[in-house]
Amino acid sequence: MAYQKRPTSSYQPCDTFFVESYDEFPAPRMDPKEHAKLMARERQYAMAEQLSKVTSDEFRDDVLAHMLDMDAATLPDVESIDIQTEIQWFMRPYLLDFLIEAHTAFQLLPSTLFLTINLLDRYCSKRVVYKRHYQLVGCAALLIASKYGDKKDRVPTIKELKSMCCSLYDDDMFIQMEWHVLQTLGWTIGHPTVDNFLQMAVMDCAYDAEVEHLALYISEISLFHREFVSKPSSDLARASLALARCILNRTQPRHTEWASQYDSMTLVGLSQQLHQPSQVLSRKYSSAHYSRVSKVLEQFLARQASIASYTPPSPQTEVVQPEPKPYEGEIGLATPQKATQSSAMAHGYITPPITPENEVFANGGNPTFAKGAAASACSPSPTPPNMQYVSSHTYTQETTYPQQFLQPQMSFSTGY
Amino acid sequence: MDGRDRSSSKTLQPPAAAYLELISSLASPKSFLFRHPPRSTPPNPKPTPPSTMDKQQPSSFQQLEKLGEGTYATVFKGRNRQTGELVALKEIHLDSEEGTPSTAIREISLMKELKHESIVSLYDVIHTENKLMLVFEYMDKDLKKYMDTRGDRGQLDQATIKSFMHQLLKGIAFCHENRVLHRDLKPQNLLINKKGQLKLGDFGLARAFGIPVNTFSNEVVTLWYRAPDVLLGSRTYNTSIDIWSAGCIMAELYTGRPLFPGTTNEDQLMKIFRLMGTPSERSWPGISQLPEYKPNFHVYATQDLGIILPQIDPLGLDLLNRMLQLRPEMRVSAHDALQHPWFHDLPQLQAQLQQQMAAAYGGMVPPQQAY
Repeated sequence: MAYQKRPTSSYQPCDTFFVESYDEFPAPRMDPKEHAKLMARERQYAMAEQLSKVTSDEFRDDVLAHMLDMDAATLPDVESIDIQTEIQWFMRPYLLDFLIEAHTAFQLLPSTLFLTINLLDRYCSKRVVYKRHYQLVGCAALLIASKYGDKKDRVPTIKELKSMCCSLYDDDMFIQMEWHVLQTLGWTIGHPTVDNFLQMAVMDCAYDAEVEHLALYISEISLFHREFVSKPSSDLARASLALARCILNRTQPRHTEWASQYDSMTLVGLSQQLHQPSQVLSRKYSSAHYSRVSKVLEQFLARQASIASYTPPSPQTEVVQPEPKPYEGEIGLATPQKATQSSAMAHGYITPPITPENEVFANGGNPTFAKGAAASACSPSPTPPNMQYVSSHTYTQETTYPQQFLQPQMSFSTGY
Repeated sequence: MDGRDRSSSKTLQPPAAAYLELISSLASPKSFLFRHPPRSTPPNPKPTPPSTMDKQQPSSFQQLEKLGEGTYATVFKGRNRQTGELVALKEIHLDSEEGTPSTAIREISLMKELKHESIVSLYDVIHTENKLMLVFEYMDKDLKKYMDTRGDRGQLDQATIKSFMHQLLKGIAFCHENRVLHRDLKPQNLLINKKGQLKLGDFGLARAFGIPVNTFSNEVVTLWYRAPDVLLGSRTYNTSIDIWSAGCIMAELYTGRPLFPGTTNEDQLMKIFRLMGTPSERSWPGISQLPEYKPNFHVYATQDLGIILPQIDPLGLDLLNRMLQLRPEMRVSAHDALQHPWFHDLPQLQAQLQQQMAAAYGGMVPPQQAY
């Protein structure tokens, strides 16, 4: 409801094109035939997994070496894009939103989106692009990427692309731009995408859809930011994966293989961009199909913000550490709300923001509890050492309890 | 909620307004860069080295006789007017409706990645008004033609077979190491030159695979060389499909005839089972889950491949059996196949072969090629 009101597509007047298909995407209609098909596909996937294990054991090192070479050979040059005269960085999110919606509408492979953006950025690193052609270049990139990787029947037709662009460009222009992109890039299309590297990095671990989806979400968020445009896909993939594992509280794999090595600076950089993801993107990842990871991330960030309100500010030491803890602190510090809250803290701690889970409340029926509870009620939650419980006298009166704790712990009300 | 929305739209406003302005400029006059030749675009932000592809004109090559015709392209023999070098020119007609065909995009971009002595080289890509011309290294003939003209009723001698198989497997191994599946290996797509070199050609069906493998279309590989798992409807095949094709080709080198010349998908499976035995859930766990599997397949016992290939030596037979495994995961990899003892005496044989080759290329038949 809320999202339909939102002006997500000011650049794209024919937004009816996407809205319907988007809503239906995550929920497959389940007639028995379809269900049987789905089951058969599941079984096939299991077999494929075994099959691919055989392949990967043999070719993994060679393929990885080749992918890393190709990764380095197909990096966009962010500084060349900087000196574009007409197109500006602020325009990029709009184009990306458009491409993400188109990519979703055509149900293309995850890899295709990354490849599209790579082709777009590489073209923009080499040619001056008029702003009136920016969207056309994006469409041509999408067309090439899907022809390269997707099944034939999924590849968008020029007619479809044209109608998505509201007939701003003729058929001819798509064909010529497609050609020009291919020519400019010297036909080197085989860029190994973040998604390719992600798949490779998780293949030794037990399948964890949530981690994979969140990692994918984080890497797609990174597409929006200039600082990651010239980052190799392999770095982005591993840092996104490590960050996703942290957020979801999964253990990081111990081994010292390629897949588990990540650049902590990239990871910190990514963690700082999670706060205001594109709405198109967060909507895409709010579907069950993607384990609703955008919601999970939102909740995590909210939790971080509130936890941060009673974490002693000690940013410097935490930032440099590459281990899970540091950027959780980092995230907390990056939120603007938190800063204001911590400044409020100095004056007094009026209402604990978090439901207390301490022992005192667990045995809520205890009649002796009400008396001395006040002081102990606050202490179990971690409190900054510098914080004085100046206001704790106010708690001594029983009347303050309902106000603070009744809402979260409803069963408790019997005690009163 | 409302309050939040309003505030968020407020923060969005500046770029949105700017974009609206952008839209209006988009919609405005249709003076478009492609009305002029593309090179009239403003100078590059960073001067890029001119691609060799831009320079070449179709007129740089003299078009000679037609070598072959494929589904989406025609191949001509050609001569570089400057150097006199022979080349193969593959002309792809551009579909004006949908732009550059996906086959061309895949073929060109993959072949640019695959530079290897056992893979035919792509020299150049030339674009004209309505066609795309790929300039390939010239090869004299394809393996099919070679067998027809050279061997004794198509059968080749041991030394040639071993040399060809070694080169074929080297080419396949290189593709696989570079995460490319050829997906259409057959004698018509293997090219032979006067030096006795064999190279993989026609990457029109090839594609890059991920690790782990993704789902692919199962409409690949000419029927006769198609692996049983693909015939059974598996969409998650991997590098092993190229190995099956290589096995079929190896047998064909000995007999001069295709090993499994099926007419339909079902017939193809039956021809394979008649020789290799009908697989069951016991010999191939999971087979009954494949879409085309029928529980009432006629049950054949496994035959000894040596019976239909009397010329083959025991080591060669062992290698062939490893390549023609019904279960994809049991098939030998190209890399391991190259280590097989059958190839140990190759260096001696090759020396011998060089002399033969020189002698054999007396009278040449107009070659036909698949690029």
